Amino acid sequence: MRTLLIIGTDKGAFLAKSDAGRTAWTIEGPLFKGWRITAIGRDGGRTFLGVNSFVYGATIQVSDDLAKWRQVDGPAYPKDGTRKLTQVWKIAPVGGALFAGVAEAGLFRSDDRGDTWKPVAGLNDHPTREKWMPGAGGLCAHAIVGDPTNPQRMWCGISAVGVFRTDDGGRTWQSKNRGVTVVLEDKTTKDIGYCVHGLAQDTRDPNLIWRQDHKGMYRTRDGGDSWEKIERGLPSGFGFPLVREPRRGALYAVPLESDEFRMPPGGALRVYRSIDGGESWAPSGKGLPGEHAYDVVLRGALTLDAQDPAGIYVGTTGGTVYASRDAGESWQALPFGAPRVVCLAAFTE
Amino acid sequence: MASVTVRLPRLLAGLIGGALETTVEADTLAAALDTLIARHPELGVHLFDESGKLRGHVLCFHNEDNTRWLPSLERPVKPGDVITIMQAVTGG
Repeated sequence: MRTLLIIGTDKGAFLAKSDAGRTAWTIEGPLFKGWRITAIGRDGGRTFLGVNSFVYGATIQVSDDLAKWRQVDGPAYPKDGTRKLTQVWKIAPVGGALFAGVAEAGLFRSDDRGDTWKPVAGLNDHPTREKWMPGAGGLCAHAIVGDPTNPQRMWCGISAVGVFRTDDGGRTWQSKNRGVTVVLEDKTTKDIGYCVHGLAQDTRDPNLIWRQDHKGMYRTRDGGDSWEKIERGLPSGFGFPLVREPRRGALYAVPLESDEFRMPPGGALRVYRSIDGGESWAPSGKGLPGEHAYDVVLRGALTLDAQDPAGIYVGTTGGTVYASRDAGESWQALPFGAPRVVCLAAFTE
Repeated sequence: MASVTVRLPRLLAGLIGGALETTVEADTLAAALDTLIARHPELGVHLFDESGKLRGHVLCFHNEDNTRWLPSLERPVKPGDVITIMQAVTGG
């Protein structure tokens, strides 16, 4: 089997295709040259890109063959409203539908494989909405997690606001942040002001979710009703991406030195791994730069493929993409100098 | 109606099939832009924001005039006029 790695960058998308051993790679692209690629999703054989420009706005582009692309209708906020859609942060299939998380923070739903999009009003017009404040990355809904056992249940993470869960198919949403340290405390409500950065889930036990938060690494065993901090072995609780390999349950994260400095601790780029559900963490294997590395891995720039052992991929703001074909035991840089890497997605073909 | 040339930046050319310019038939500047969007609806979201106005960093010129300073887009156009869309390059 081969891996297709889609590399979303500040200047377009690139396709990295591996050989069967995942040792040799060819690079194609850029797609959407000059546009910022902010999200990559796939549903069945259809691929979705969040494509963005500071000047020309944000759209979703769709392809069934990675060659011919078309722009779809939405997501979009109402005309003459006060909200502006500035970026598509996440495109994810959940329970037979497709969801897009965007900035300004909101969630949109498509029931026709991404051709048209409707706002999820229960979240977008949440009673706390007027009090939501943007963080350093903007006011963005970037994490979408479903429940394979219950189509009525879903989680959405919004930076500087927190995690929300619906138990009624998106009609109403409840803040699920108890146990997490608040970042932007509101005068009147304790429901918001939590800064989730990434979520990962055990799909066999959907109530078991890990959370890379601004204030540390957390885990919930009860679907977000309560969270506990789990940082043993991590050099810092701060970081952005978090993924879980479903076959063996290993977690992968990229710690950064504090929210103030936001650099690899000690100048060593390290992907940390937990093989015991987050109880403890340790740096993964050799091949990543151990010194003088000050570029970072953004929220969407850590991903894995579906092979066994899993391929793990990280892209940096310095434009290097590192690949591990042995679940993190060893790493190699792809022969490719990319623009600033924003997001990655890997598919097995 | 007048035949008017519309020139687009390279980032948007893909939305009209790769060409950097096209022609529309219209009597006014507003009608020319409406016709352009009607023919290529994917352009709309890239040129106009949620308020219906040109995006803040999108420039639109009618011949030599920046439309941002015009009192209205209900301005007559004549055959051979050129509407140029470009991005305002700001910052560094």
